[in-house]
Amino acid sequence: MNNRNATGLDAELLNDFFAEADEHLLGIRQALLQLEASVNKAQPDPKVVENLFRNFHSFKGISAIVGLGAAEAVAHTTEDFLRLMRSGKTQLSAKGLEVLMAATQKLEQLVAAFRQQKPLPSYESLLAELKQQCETPSDSEPVTKLPTAPMAASDTTLWTSVDEARSRGLQLWKYAFTPSKKINAQGVNVNTVREQLLKVGEILKSTPIIKAQGEIVFEFLIAARNAPTDIADWETRGVTIQLLPQEETEIPAASPEEETHNPFLAPSHVVRVDLKKLDELMRITGEMVIHRSRLETQIAQLNRDSRRVDLRAVQEVSGGLGRSLRELREAITRVRLVPVAEIFARMPFVVRDLARQSDKKVQLKLEGQDTAMDKYLIERLKDPLLHLVRNAFSHGVETTAERVAMGKPETAVIELRASNAGDSVIIEVRDDGQGINPNAILQQAKKLGLEIPEVLDNEAILKILCASGFSTRDDADRAAGRGVGMAVVNATVRELGGSLTLESEEGRGTRFTLRLPLTLAIAETLIVEAGGQTCAVPQSSVREVLHVQDEQIKTVNGVEAIPYRTAVLPVIRLTGLFRLKNVSKPKHCLLVIESERGSIGLLADQILGQREVVVRVLRDPLVQVKGISGATELGDGKPVLILDGAALTSGNVRPPERFNTPAKTSM
Amino acid sequence: MSDNVESYVLFELADNVYALPSRNVLHIEMFEHVTLVPNANPAIDGVVFSRGQVMPALNLRVRFGLPREKNTVRTRIIFTTIHDRAVGLIVDSAREFRSFPASELRPVEETLTGINDKYLRAVVKLRERVVLILDLEAVLNLNDVQLPSEALTLVENTTSKV
Repeated sequence: MNNRNATGLDAELLNDFFAEADEHLLGIRQALLQLEASVNKAQPDPKVVENLFRNFHSFKGISAIVGLGAAEAVAHTTEDFLRLMRSGKTQLSAKGLEVLMAATQKLEQLVAAFRQQKPLPSYESLLAELKQQCETPSDSEPVTKLPTAPMAASDTTLWTSVDEARSRGLQLWKYAFTPSKKINAQGVNVNTVREQLLKVGEILKSTPIIKAQGEIVFEFLIAARNAPTDIADWETRGVTIQLLPQEETEIPAASPEEETHNPFLAPSHVVRVDLKKLDELMRITGEMVIHRSRLETQIAQLNRDSRRVDLRAVQEVSGGLGRSLRELREAITRVRLVPVAEIFARMPFVVRDLARQSDKKVQLKLEGQDTAMDKYLIERLKDPLLHLVRNAFSHGVETTAERVAMGKPETAVIELRASNAGDSVIIEVRDDGQGINPNAILQQAKKLGLEIPEVLDNEAILKILCASGFSTRDDADRAAGRGVGMAVVNATVRELGGSLTLESEEGRGTRFTLRLPLTLAIAETLIVEAGGQTCAVPQSSVREVLHVQDEQIKTVNGVEAIPYRTAVLPVIRLTGLFRLKNVSKPKHCLLVIESERGSIGLLADQILGQREVVVRVLRDPLVQVKGISGATELGDGKPVLILDGAALTSGNVRPPERFNTPAKTSM
Repeated sequence: MSDNVESYVLFELADNVYALPSRNVLHIEMFEHVTLVPNANPAIDGVVFSRGQVMPALNLRVRFGLPREKNTVRTRIIFTTIHDRAVGLIVDSAREFRSFPASELRPVEETLTGINDKYLRAVVKLRERVVLILDLEAVLNLNDVQLPSEALTLVENTTSKV
């Protein structure tokens, strides 16, 4: 019954494991980056080491719970190494840091393989390296294991801890917990049992075991001084207790390589929530309950005597309810926000890994890691950003020799920067490499039979890069060949309601800019109308609204424009956008639309109001057109299009000259 | 004889009877409102909102090169689905369900109808009429329709003023 695999493990437990594992890995990665500064110092920053130690330790614990022995062993040995470092018995060498990073990567791979039910990668050589690190030359003292390693669980250590526990006069008990719906309803689950067990004694080992009927049992090996007194009490919680005879402690031989993999749920999109944010949700919900009871009172009043209903009171309740709803929505939105550090923190490892196997030196700069984004967006952006960073490394950055020859600094810089701009998050991936050679792109496009644009500007280049099937010679190489192509990057960004732009200068570098909505669902918009057509303009792209007279609009070089501040603003008529008949009106509303690409004036007949709308992305290719970022519905069953400020100002949507000679606007 | 009987939604367009497999039909609605989408294919009348989703509305008459007709009380939108897409088809009317065994489906003969037979999958001959079974995938693939080059530019003022 040494079945260490976790088949049938409680899905929730697994979800928790993956979420927690991610969290610890994130913490480890960040600490490792800080640790880099401590290389070859007598004493690395103790706080950082402590932080690392804690993360690896917790990682070990949760790996044990789900029976991921391989990760447990790696984390355990890493912990040993860190313990030495913490006690000042060893220095942190460059090699040591590298091994720590390798261990982190191995843990990542193990978790990923576990998650995808793939065979686990081998980790023995890494373990050997780690052990070697523990035996630093200067250190003749044998490595002492802390006697009370609470979760000692890699198998050799398990034996030692069993022996060691016995030598301290402790008895070994086997507590077997069988979860059931009934018990669960009483609030008892494997975690609560675990917590209680910690009070009983030391948990030497915990193993989930699958019984023939598909039932799952968690076995905990406990070292305790006294016999349990409350056996009956434990039994009501589904736990049976058994004293293990002195000699035959059964310890399953772990051979992680033989582990079969378990069916499990798709990777969960778990958001860990700050309690304060939940409290806020609770408070708002409470307010809404009060509003509702006030409303009920008024309705009851209405039933009795409609004349006595205080209309003002009802309106007040309605207003309060609306306010609470808005707050609730905002609060939920905030709960969904997580920092981009979740993606950024893994990039240094990607770059380091690539650099090691190439003749390039690259420094990765991260900025704006605290910028928060919707969890869903973060998840979806992981692969595209990884691709862009790999691209920057393999296509953008030159080799050290090439850089020196060109008089550039030896070390290239790849910069990942996140920032907020209104309702958007902007993520830039920039490198100071060789830039994109338009001719090479052109050649490749011709070879593939892609449409050749007249002017090969950045936008045209991006279009070619994002054409499906486009690849350059390097695409098969290690860095860029894996993962997703530019076509997928572009498609993902678009699907998320965002935009992708490229700036590249030969010899100077390349910058990809992803512009994404802060949250997916809701946007503050101005509802405008022209010629009977209603549409919504995101307020984040509206700089101001002016009332203009028709005669203020002039035609300059065949394009309508209007003097604005010290310059001239090109004008787009909403009616023109929808190809509606242009009814001449003396007065218009002019929305000054601004994005990082420029400004235009959008001419509408009137502004109907200001609304928060739920944005629905137009997914079908039949209605994916430039200038429209999505649609919404204002409660009357009619979809209203949401204009895309960035596209309107891009020049793509600027009026072509030949169509724009309005008869009425004589100069 | 193990004949696969499949259910179809029958609808009319320019006096012809067409059919779509029921499994491709989400639901059918009266034609009420469509929101124009600038720069979409000419066959796309716009987007409609139905059951919490915003979907393109494809005018099947325009798609088949038939003259556009005014919408009437009989005009229907058939909300179809295929490969995770959801698209509304605007048709003259839609009234009935019929089931045909697969053995009754006949290959499409050319010159049977005015429309291009590449949008048809099969033909079923009933006693009194011919039912044309649509190839939904082909119908929704607008890549074979050449867009006028101006349509790629979003802004055009009304031609009446040029």
